[in-house]
Amino acid sequence: MANINEEMLRELAERIYDLDAEVYAQLGSSLGRVFNRDRERCVEELTHRMMMRDEGHVVRSSLALISNMARTISDKEERKLVMTEYNRILQEVLSLQTSFGGGDVLDKQLAQLNTLNLKNRFAEKDHLIICIGRTYGCGGSEIGFTLADSLKINYYDAEIFSEVLKRLEAEKDSVEDKAGYHYRNDGEKKQYTFEERAFTAGKKMTLAERMREFSRYHGLSKKDAVFFNQSDLLCEMAKKEDFIVMGRCADVILTNNRIPHISIFITAPFERRIQRVMEVDEKLTYKQARNKLKRLDRQHVGYYKFYTGREWGNAVNYDLCINSASYGIEGSVDLIRRMISGGEN
Amino acid sequence: MKELTTLSSGAAALPIPLWLCIPFAGLLLCIAVLPLVKAHWWEEHQPLVAGFWALLFVLPFAWLYGAERAAETVLECIINDYLTFIVLLFGLFCVSGNITMEGDLAGSPRVNVLLLTVGTLLSSWIGTTGASMLMVRPVIKMNSWRRRRAHIMVFFIFLISNIGGCLTPIGDPPLLMGFSRGVPFFWSLHLLPMMLVNMAVLLTVFYWIDRRAYCKDIAAGLKPNISKAGTSIKINGLHNLIFLVMIVAAVILSGTLPTMSMFQTAEGTVKGIHIFGEVTLGYPALIEIVMILAAAGLSFKTTDPEIRRKNHFTWGAIQEVAVLFIGIFITMQPALMILKTMGASLGLSKPGEMFWVTGVLSSFLDNTPTYLVFLTTAGAMGFAEGMSTSLGMVPVAMLEAISCGAVFMGANTYIGNAPNFMVKAISDENGIKMPSFFGYILWSVTCLIPVFLLDTLLFFL
Repeated sequence: MANINEEMLRELAERIYDLDAEVYAQLGSSLGRVFNRDRERCVEELTHRMMMRDEGHVVRSSLALISNMARTISDKEERKLVMTEYNRILQEVLSLQTSFGGGDVLDKQLAQLNTLNLKNRFAEKDHLIICIGRTYGCGGSEIGFTLADSLKINYYDAEIFSEVLKRLEAEKDSVEDKAGYHYRNDGEKKQYTFEERAFTAGKKMTLAERMREFSRYHGLSKKDAVFFNQSDLLCEMAKKEDFIVMGRCADVILTNNRIPHISIFITAPFERRIQRVMEVDEKLTYKQARNKLKRLDRQHVGYYKFYTGREWGNAVNYDLCINSASYGIEGSVDLIRRMISGGEN
Repeated sequence: MKELTTLSSGAAALPIPLWLCIPFAGLLLCIAVLPLVKAHWWEEHQPLVAGFWALLFVLPFAWLYGAERAAETVLECIINDYLTFIVLLFGLFCVSGNITMEGDLAGSPRVNVLLLTVGTLLSSWIGTTGASMLMVRPVIKMNSWRRRRAHIMVFFIFLISNIGGCLTPIGDPPLLMGFSRGVPFFWSLHLLPMMLVNMAVLLTVFYWIDRRAYCKDIAAGLKPNISKAGTSIKINGLHNLIFLVMIVAAVILSGTLPTMSMFQTAEGTVKGIHIFGEVTLGYPALIEIVMILAAAGLSFKTTDPEIRRKNHFTWGAIQEVAVLFIGIFITMQPALMILKTMGASLGLSKPGEMFWVTGVLSSFLDNTPTYLVFLTTAGAMGFAEGMSTSLGMVPVAMLEAISCGAVFMGANTYIGNAPNFMVKAISDENGIKMPSFFGYILWSVTCLIPVFLLDTLLFFL
């Protein structure tokens, strides 16, 4: 029964979306429309809202906005057609009030992305994408790199940022990567690079530089422009290849775009992280390393919260959370591999 | 001049029973409640509702004071108040609808703060209505990628449609009335500190509210289309700025011509076309109307219809305002008459009192007559020092309080100032779910009233 309801609601949601598109096309306006995202996502969201009894009013409100626009169509015949369809849809939406589907899981696709239901998560056409979030100094980058190496898939961290710079036609020196701790693995030499720059505030700019930035990034801050471009780039990459991506809120970006992926969070006890940071950078004193970690964690929490609305490191947002201090680099890689393969070695 | 004529006309001299204000309250209640409970019915029957409440005032008024006086009161308000009001709105609506901005600037908190700042500063020089109509579509367009947008339009109304208009007589009609009563043209620049304080506080509040909404939109996966490197902005129909200037000139003339001797009779009243009883359509008003309609006509004639199509230009917004405000203008007459007779006896003697009483009344009544009532009251108090006006000497602090109250607090409700409702109607037509009448008042109570309290502490105590 729940399935029948959902199918019916999806069909209704598609009709609502199409009505909005039709009204917008008829008006030829450039001022925006009610549903301004892609069809699939809007339909899904509408279906979801209609299934929730207490959110039915949001659908009715969206319909009212469409009708406001529809009433301004100048062609009488077209307006009549559109309004007839609107009235039909409205009646159906109103009749749903007492028959909204219940069900334990309202958004099945979202649920699939967020549970350990890995077996059914990836369809044949989907690529294997692993998003790894990590705290500084936990060895997360090395785990990611080693995992990519063992799975023979691409590893992306700073590369994404470089690609985004190309897209934005930005000078490399003027933009800082605020979304990751760059990690380099040149054979024997494994180290963080530019770590001081991760999440740091941009340098002070002159008015002329600000004006240039304003024009270059469509009035957005560099940070936002980079984030939006990273989002686009990730979604494009997800259609083409398997890969591991470090940080960059990739888990949420992919979830929002309904792209199947595995999300992992890696951390370690604070003291162990300090120890590792001091090993990587021998010049750092204990106090400096501690302060640096605290500052980076704070900035990372803020960054993640700003762009995703979620709490960074909150276990409910990930498929797997690992304390790398308990398993080590190789052990963590092995654990993740076993999870991906469904427990088989 | 015309507003004073309205108030000094015969009917106002007689005691007006308070119950005659019921139709005004009834109409306001309908505007507030019916869109919520009977939205479709309301949209289709607005003229009927406005007509019903107008009749509910006119008929008892005619019964009490005679049909002739009732007709005179209604005609006076339609010819001398409503006509110029709606023609001005119509002209600005038409001209601004023929200017469109194409580009890929993305609506973000800082872009919105910039737009609101530009619009607010523009308001004093092309009028709150002009700035609102000019800016509303670009603001809607730049934020079209976002879902949470209503608060942007609410602050748009606060700042561009109201507060920004305080610096010159062109900004808001009450100041124009002050100008025609002898207040120097640039005197209103005295209100700059008040405006700057209000702008600073409101823009800061707005930035944080918008930032929060922006983050929620991003978190929900919404993003602007910035795939192309660099921003390109192109404004089409820019020649319409000439017509905008023409309309502004018409408004200035409507304030200056009545004081010129060639437009005055031997008795000192404004010359014009006699309509009925004491009702006359003054030549200055006629010149204003002709100039505005000519500007609107020329604008339509010289602009590619494609621009209007891209702007989603429809008559819906202006039609709604025209219908509702004719009802409001007629039904608020008894309230204005009572205010006129009681204004002097309210015992207001301090700037803070003047600021709040003028302001609260301007939130619901037309702010121009409200301003005039309290300017007249202040002028009649017999102060020896201050600004010399044709209504008497008014202390500068008092004049500042009356001006700020009338201009700023028009933002308190949708009906407080003409552009408020226009911005709401245009937003409604373009996919933005604006707050209801009471919902909007909640915004003003939480965001504006604290700012006005701050104004009182800083400037009017």
